[in-house]
Amino acid sequence: MALNTTLETNNGITTITLSGELDASTAPLFKEKVEEAASQKVRRLVLLMQDLEYMASAGLRMLIFAKQKMGSNVDIYVVGAQEMVIDTIKKTGFHYSVVILDKYE
Amino acid sequence: MEPLTVVGSLNSLAAIAEYVMAAAEAARLDKKVSYKLRLAVDEIATNIILHSYQEAGRSGVLDLLAEFDEQALIISIEDTGDPYDPTKEPTPTDLDQPLEQRQLGGLGVYLAIHSVDKFIYERVGNKNRNTFFVKYKSKKSQEDESNSQNL
Repeated sequence: MALNTTLETNNGITTITLSGELDASTAPLFKEKVEEAASQKVRRLVLLMQDLEYMASAGLRMLIFAKQKMGSNVDIYVVGAQEMVIDTIKKTGFHYSVVILDKYE
Repeated sequence: MEPLTVVGSLNSLAAIAEYVMAAAEAARLDKKVSYKLRLAVDEIATNIILHSYQEAGRSGVLDLLAEFDEQALIISIEDTGDPYDPTKEPTPTDLDQPLEQRQLGGLGVYLAIHSVDKFIYERVGNKNRNTFFVKYKSKKSQEDESNSQNL
């Protein structure tokens, strides 16, 4: 089980691509990227999740962390997440606070 | 199935997930039900490792056992931490609040309890035992979908 993360920033938008499995043991890798994004003072955080096969509540906590660290005016986009990941996001009411998209252009 | 014993470290989560998914496959659970069972066991195991062992400054193991009865796959986890009953955790009341105003805790237990057909906590001797039940033909996923629409 592993998590791979990459980060790219362009024009005030940071994109983090997540693939693999996001649980309490791999969440620190995601946290590092969120901290990197926060240090760049961007206005938008885009999370590409097409290849994220699993997400536990540790992933949800990272979304709260991102919002708190980057500021509530920074919009968080969750893009291409798999059905069960979206199920978890909705069950816990996180869809009220992040923008869920199939694709990000 | 043969029981699984792992050390109380986050590095053990992968082995726990593998054990649960093998049991789910043997029980022929569908993909969604299997995912939710894995999530439930993962969340409770994470809690035990972080709170009952690491924060309490003690080491210990987690004992997992998967059993197949006539109607359900039953997975139990035992630990030797202080008594802790997840079912006594209050249901989060801030699920509709903006993220920046939300509590970080409580989500894992909430997801765990709501991702299986039945969840039981027992104190047995000096151990906590958390038991998860998933019926072979679960209607849970449909019920959850209608529940989540009512949120």
